Amino acid sequence: MTTTAEAGGHLVDTDLSADLAAAALSLARRFHDGATLWVISPQWEPHAHHVAVEFVHPVIMGKRALPSVALVEPDPVAQARVASRPGDILLAVASANEPAVVDAMRRAPAWGAMTLWIGAGPRPPAGAANHILWVDSDDPMVPATGRFVLMYHLLWELTHVCFEHSGLLKPDAEECDETVCVTCSDEGRLGEVVIEPAEPLGPALVRTAAGEEWVDVSVLGDVRPNDLVLVHAGAAITRLDDAGQETNR
Amino acid sequence: MTTHDSESTSFLYPFIDSEETDAQSLLDDLAASARGKAAESARLQKASLDEYGDGLTAAGIDMADRFRRGGRLYTFGNGGSSTDAATLASLFSRPARGRPVAAWSLAADQAVVTALGNDVGFDLIFKRQIIAHARDRDVAIALSTSGNSDDLMTALTEAKQRGLLTIGFAGHEGGRMAAMASAGELDFCYTVHSQSIHRIQESHAMLGYRLWSVAQEHMARPAPNSVEAS
Repeated sequence: MTTTAEAGGHLVDTDLSADLAAAALSLARRFHDGATLWVISPQWEPHAHHVAVEFVHPVIMGKRALPSVALVEPDPVAQARVASRPGDILLAVASANEPAVVDAMRRAPAWGAMTLWIGAGPRPPAGAANHILWVDSDDPMVPATGRFVLMYHLLWELTHVCFEHSGLLKPDAEECDETVCVTCSDEGRLGEVVIEPAEPLGPALVRTAAGEEWVDVSVLGDVRPNDLVLVHAGAAITRLDDAGQETNR
Repeated sequence: MTTHDSESTSFLYPFIDSEETDAQSLLDDLAASARGKAAESARLQKASLDEYGDGLTAAGIDMADRFRRGGRLYTFGNGGSSTDAATLASLFSRPARGRPVAAWSLAADQAVVTALGNDVGFDLIFKRQIIAHARDRDVAIALSTSGNSDDLMTALTEAKQRGLLTIGFAGHEGGRMAAMASAGELDFCYTVHSQSIHRIQESHAMLGYRLWSVAQEHMARPAPNSVEAS
């Protein structure tokens, strides 16, 4: 594909600019509602730090400081799990095959976190994050040429433009992507087990985008902390395996 | 909050902001803005590479010679530039292709940075590390969008006195970094001529990438009339 390491090329095309615009408006809406932006980049930690400092300490005087933290411990999934609250934002700068980021992006809906994924190379599958901001290049040097820096600079700049349009900062209509229970066409919310049942047939504590709730898991049998399940009408009806597929084990 | 301008005048037009409902128009504006800023970033990167092509080649060759002799690279900056310095160090120490060389960011160790900042003062957080680590075959690269940060200037001065190859990435009009280079107190200074800190940082990344490319290319060849370091 393109040799992105050469300067002067086309850095942001029409599609990417539309993706950036949509992501910025979503970010502004979440910040407006009190979100914290958590940032992970297991392969390129400095990018996570750069995003965080960009939002916390803006380079343009007078722009509002926004809460953002780089999560750079050895297990970013565990760190993001304990940090995230419903309404927060999780941003990853990573290739599509980075295991920790794949896992975090899959779990984020259970944590109630909106997700953004910045990267290069082969794309993540559609829907792997709420917003995918991608450099379509096979060049492995992309992360060191300023392309990612440009991406999150633009994201920051556009987000602050959105704050000037307070009438448009109302809640997103975008997050209606919950998995639906095919049996009754009712909602099936993604949940992550927090506390396993204390006794057989007892309820498990599960966190979903709506918060924590005690859920009947008797249909599933044995569940363990951090298992991903679909919650419907107060019961966990399905377990998701490591690939995110429904499983009936 | 974000917009002092609109806040200061909003009492005149109390319903303008809050009644805006057409997100598509805003999204179109944002997308156009993103494309415009990206085009400026690309233009500035190319202009900077064109302006400093010879200097980047000379510095990259010198760096390659120093790496051959076992030299190490220290990078440093403040804030976002400190993260860009860390990215640059990673490019040299664990590149996706090519030969890795010893390089690290002087802001990477929080114990060292906070100890120095607390005990001897923030302006000396990098200089004291140069004193501790540096040998005359090493390389120091400082990134500053203003070209004026005291902690970088003192470290560069120390590095130059110790025989390191000293390189500064600056912005705006170059500041004290450019003045040091003019006075022969800094080996190379690349000033990205822009008033935008964001665009300057994006060009700094490209300048660093070019330095790495030149150094890699020359490390892949036999050194002229020299014996490889053991």
